[in-house]
Amino acid sequence: MIPRRTDFTAAFLRSFAVQGSWNYRTMIGGGLGYALTPLLRRIHAGDPVALRQAIERHAGSFNAHPYLSPVAIGALARLEHEGRDAETCDRFRTALRGPLGALGDQAVWAGWRPFCALVTILAVLSGADARLAVMAFFIIYNAGHVGLRFWGFRMGWHAGLDVGGALNRSPLRALGGRLMPVNQALTGAVVVMLVARAPGFEPGAWEAGLVAVAALGAFILPSRGGVLAMGLLFAATAAWFF
Amino acid sequence: MTGVELAPGAWWIVVGIGTLLGLDAISWPQSMASRPIVAGTLGGMLFGDPGGGFLVGAWLEIMASRHPPYGAARYPETGPAALIAGAAFALSESGSIIALMFCVLAGWTIGWVGSHSIALLRRYNDRALGDPASFAGDPTELARRHRRSIRLDGARAALVTGALFLPVVLAVRVAETWGPGGLGAGLTPVLAVLGLAGLGGVGARLLGGRREGWPTFVIGGAVGLLLIWVFP
Repeated sequence: MIPRRTDFTAAFLRSFAVQGSWNYRTMIGGGLGYALTPLLRRIHAGDPVALRQAIERHAGSFNAHPYLSPVAIGALARLEHEGRDAETCDRFRTALRGPLGALGDQAVWAGWRPFCALVTILAVLSGADARLAVMAFFIIYNAGHVGLRFWGFRMGWHAGLDVGGALNRSPLRALGGRLMPVNQALTGAVVVMLVARAPGFEPGAWEAGLVAVAALGAFILPSRGGVLAMGLLFAATAAWFF
Repeated sequence: MTGVELAPGAWWIVVGIGTLLGLDAISWPQSMASRPIVAGTLGGMLFGDPGGGFLVGAWLEIMASRHPPYGAARYPETGPAALIAGAAFALSESGSIIALMFCVLAGWTIGWVGSHSIALLRRYNDRALGDPASFAGDPTELARRHRRSIRLDGARAALVTGALFLPVVLAVRVAETWGPGGLGAGLTPVLAVLGLAGLGGVGARLLGGRREGWPTFVIGGAVGLLLIWVFP
């Protein structure tokens, strides 16, 4: 039976809790099964055995970026609706894991989210009201977040097995790639402004020079730079006490 | 900022907001209200200094960029941590760079405490949902276990926030009023901003940058200088 609008709405809303039972064995598998349940109940209406088998199958090991998990929910529901066999569903789910994780990490975690956060920080450090700026961050960021989930869910349901091709044709990969250099530049601006706006701290020329060397050195050697930078913060604490 | 005292109900409000922020990051709904700039501002707002809370959040945001949440990687929990750090800064006596540094470090430490508590919860979830055969595809049982995990995540966040809020506020107050020698007073702010600058460099690189991309980072720094000049 084809799912109704209410089933789609319920599954979409449940996708926001897809990471609710994250664990090291099945990762978001339990959440995937939970989100799929309203659709599977309709698809397998009148066949409780098929419903249980489908839920057990989809609650197995799975991982994806949470914002792109609706792609998997939509596509897997489509496969179940089309009556594909269990092996096809399993192989499809396994094939989806990598792309949905990598694409989301690049486009959202390394692209959209830092972009929105860094622009917000720059706005406040340039004089904008912190409360308004944070509210704007929340609204604009989530317009992208919820829009991506909705697009993914629709696309997954309509594309079914061809979801890989649809993802490749989407602008997501390009978005992440384009935002990364922008985010680097924004981070440079934010670091300079945070240092300059630190309360009661007025850096002289040599201090400003040291700050530039520290930032650039850490950029070039991030693994050592990160440890050294944290060490400096703890050394600052020690200097205060001793 | 200075002289603000804790009202008796403040602890409950902080714990309530900390619970929601702790849930937001992973369990539900990942709206990023748990990002340090939002949580820090909320913490500051509760005690009359949203700008100060935001500043703490901005430092923590830069530090958190060193640990992107890719796959099953461990990363600091930012929501309750930034909420407490922002509130502690608003409740600090001086609002100085020293208070800022202590709040940021406290936030960072709470973030890792939160991270460990998340790891413990995930191990518990292993037992509850790690084996789909254990509920034999029963949709009601799956929903029950899944929702229980979400409730436990909320309880975990409440525990982290409730247990650490007052000690951190007190610790920051004690630490900032500690009278250092001349060397400490002069050296601490410099070391602190150097550490921050270093973390900014690492964060920019880990946002997908390559070593050859350093001119972009430098151009950004120049834009920052320009903005300081335009908006003194």
